[in-house]
Amino acid sequence: MAMLKRILTNPRVIILIICLLLGLFAINPRPWNEGVQIKSIARNSSAELAGFENPKSTISPMGRERILAMNNKPVPDIETYYSFVSTLESNQTVSIKTTKGSYKLITKPKFKVTLLNETETVLVEETIEVNETINDTVVLINKTVSKEVEQQKVLREIIGIEPIGFSIGPAPKSNLREGLDLQGGTRVLLRPAEQVSDDTMALMIDSLKERLNVYGLGDVVVTEVSDRPGFIGGGNKFILVEIAGATEEEVRDLLGKQGKFEAKIGADSVFKGGNDITYVCRTAQCSGIDPNRGCGRSGEGWGCSFMFSITLSPEAAQRQSDLTKGLSVEGDTLSEQLVLFLDDQEVDRLGIAADLQGRAVTDIAITGGGQGATEASAIENALKNMKRLQTILITGSLPVKIEIERIDNISSTLGKEFLKNAVYVGLLALAGVALVLMIVYRKVIIAFPIVLTAISEIFLTLAMAALIGWNIDLAAIAGIILAVGTGVNDQIVITDEAIRRETDVVYNWKDRIKRAFFIIFSAYLTLVVAMLPLLFAGAGLLKGFAITTILAVTVGVLITRPAYAQIVQLLLEK
Amino acid sequence: MSLKETLLRIYDTQYKKLMIFSFLLLVVCIASLSVSYARTGEFFQKGVSLKGGITMTVPVDQQVDIHQLERALTSKFPNADIGVREITEAGVATALIIEASDVTNAELETALPELGVKLEQGKYSVESMGSSLGQRFFSQTIRALIYAFVFMAIVVFLTFRSIVPSSFVILAAVSDLISTLAVVNLLGIKLSTAGIAALLMLIGYSVDTDILLTTKVLKRKGEGGTIFQRTVGALRTGLTMTATALVASIIGMFFTQSDTIRQIMMITTIGLLFDVIYTWFQNAGILRWYLEKKEHGNA
Repeated sequence: MAMLKRILTNPRVIILIICLLLGLFAINPRPWNEGVQIKSIARNSSAELAGFENPKSTISPMGRERILAMNNKPVPDIETYYSFVSTLESNQTVSIKTTKGSYKLITKPKFKVTLLNETETVLVEETIEVNETINDTVVLINKTVSKEVEQQKVLREIIGIEPIGFSIGPAPKSNLREGLDLQGGTRVLLRPAEQVSDDTMALMIDSLKERLNVYGLGDVVVTEVSDRPGFIGGGNKFILVEIAGATEEEVRDLLGKQGKFEAKIGADSVFKGGNDITYVCRTAQCSGIDPNRGCGRSGEGWGCSFMFSITLSPEAAQRQSDLTKGLSVEGDTLSEQLVLFLDDQEVDRLGIAADLQGRAVTDIAITGGGQGATEASAIENALKNMKRLQTILITGSLPVKIEIERIDNISSTLGKEFLKNAVYVGLLALAGVALVLMIVYRKVIIAFPIVLTAISEIFLTLAMAALIGWNIDLAAIAGIILAVGTGVNDQIVITDEAIRRETDVVYNWKDRIKRAFFIIFSAYLTLVVAMLPLLFAGAGLLKGFAITTILAVTVGVLITRPAYAQIVQLLLEK
Repeated sequence: MSLKETLLRIYDTQYKKLMIFSFLLLVVCIASLSVSYARTGEFFQKGVSLKGGITMTVPVDQQVDIHQLERALTSKFPNADIGVREITEAGVATALIIEASDVTNAELETALPELGVKLEQGKYSVESMGSSLGQRFFSQTIRALIYAFVFMAIVVFLTFRSIVPSSFVILAAVSDLISTLAVVNLLGIKLSTAGIAALLMLIGYSVDTDILLTTKVLKRKGEGGTIFQRTVGALRTGLTMTATALVASIIGMFFTQSDTIRQIMMITTIGLLFDVIYTWFQNAGILRWYLEKKEHGNA
């Protein structure tokens, strides 16, 4: 007992204990945490309208908003959430209680739209820019006018509810962030096709984020990585995108495209993506499968056309008017077609109705298509292509072309297996180490503190990772293994210095520990400098390994090993 | 005389022969790597993460004949370079790993179900690496390895402030790395980025014991004892260190499900075994020989 008291009152041991407590605080483990975590909120969804906000990726896992109850019924897990949501009806008000407050959410009906063979006249409100003289100065102001438009009559039937817009995940059990390898998801490494400045790079990263967001992927991390440190020239720049839960195919098209959209008549450009387009319709009323062209058999499979309407800026509309003036009329249409290009590749071509000649129309339809083995899959693909094109039109094009250098799609089930397995292997390895130590030293009093120190080193490293928001992935696990291995090695050096009887006369305890630390510090320095170059190699993909290793050995050398030296000293010094 | 004493006696009296043995081993390993270079133009086989291609990890719940699958895939895509491995957990196959270059993802995804490998949406992982990035990755990681070595060497020189013994430490680390690469190559393991990371780990582990040895022999003259006695003092500590690391890496190698971690563990295991030879035969031998010669010269 007196021994235990002496150990626990030793300053170095106290420092270790304080660090462990702080670590516990940083990791904040809550194994019985209930609720479902909100990972992202879809744009214009019921959830966004109810006031929910997209969580920032910098927030620690435990700090994220969680849904606790819906309509006063507790939602402890994902299954309960989904079974509750499946019972919802349209225009229903749902009260939601979260960790941050209460919300009222109103579900939106989902319509099936059928186009009828009739037309009707409707009043539409339109915002136009007009020059007006106010106080003798001409200013451009927005004015809302009503106008009558003739349009095809549609039949709208409610067939359910629109998705309410939450992307959810299980409640976090601690502040540890699982990397993509363990959590599942898609990782894409993109390279700009040419050297770009820092500003352009920042612009591209913002556009890509925006693109993913508009597309509806919320849980996204976009970062710039470089394969050489800044102070020796920076090297090649890459953009690393990590998305939890997205399919590879979606991401490939969404991120790999520069998104340069252009409509041409002959060789002349009419309008481009970005400033020329003021509005892109995404509601069921003016976007969907093209009612005029629809679906049809093409070759062995099916092909479907989609259409959605966009609003052009007055300048672009004027350009269209000028360009169509010179064309000749052939039957119902003009002699030239409007050809749509995405990244210089033709997407579709449209006939221009003869009555549009010379008119500056701002509302026009964009079309395209999708193929599939069956009609249903063709429809699905056409709608997916439509969604991507809409997204690209809304967010505009990137300043330079980008290439996909690497794309990894990791299954979440495999990831979970890896994690479980890694913990199991780790425990087994520790048991093995303990056994060897028992055989060599034949003293529980030595083997036990070494294993205990190794465990606290792992714990402190995880705490540091949680604190700085670093993801634990396979590379990080490898780093921790390496660091724990060197940690055990160092403790063996300390132990052997401490128990050598033959030099008792020559050196006192302090000297012996000091001498052990000479070896430990040299080994520590060699390991750290060996890891430094890896911080930049391979476009930062090995950074996780290097950082975790450096973090873990530093924790070891500064906190746990000094404490261990003291413990051994007190235990053996009788 | 006990076994331990006999071994120590051999270690004491025959140290020059043991040292020569370690150098011969190094020469054999260099020769093996050179043969491989002459034959293939590479010192070791690169996995897809270093040369570009696809890695697909598919969980399986029954035994799959991997050789047959590999043959079937190779005959289906004659231009592609395809390898199939399995991940086992304590002897039971849990997942297949298919590594392929010059074949697209979609092609593999259609071919596999035809050959009886079930692909369930969301249950398998696909990693694809562009070949230009693969090349760049490779040259960068090799460069990182060289830088790491140079930095490590500088730290060692600063620690001991004595050129000859420091270069012995570095020689031991280089020998360890070369021999590990040779064995990895002989076993037909394709090196991935994780493998390069493992080689870096190895620098750390290898230098650990060499620093221990050199510190004890060189800096602890005041403690008395002959060079050999001090070497044996370090030997005990060093072997305990290597034994614990070996046990951990062997356990990891057999029980992990992750291919990345398995390659790391395998390379570490091979390297640790070589480390015993290069630290206690080569480094200890050459250091003793050097110091004894120096003492002789002074006397």
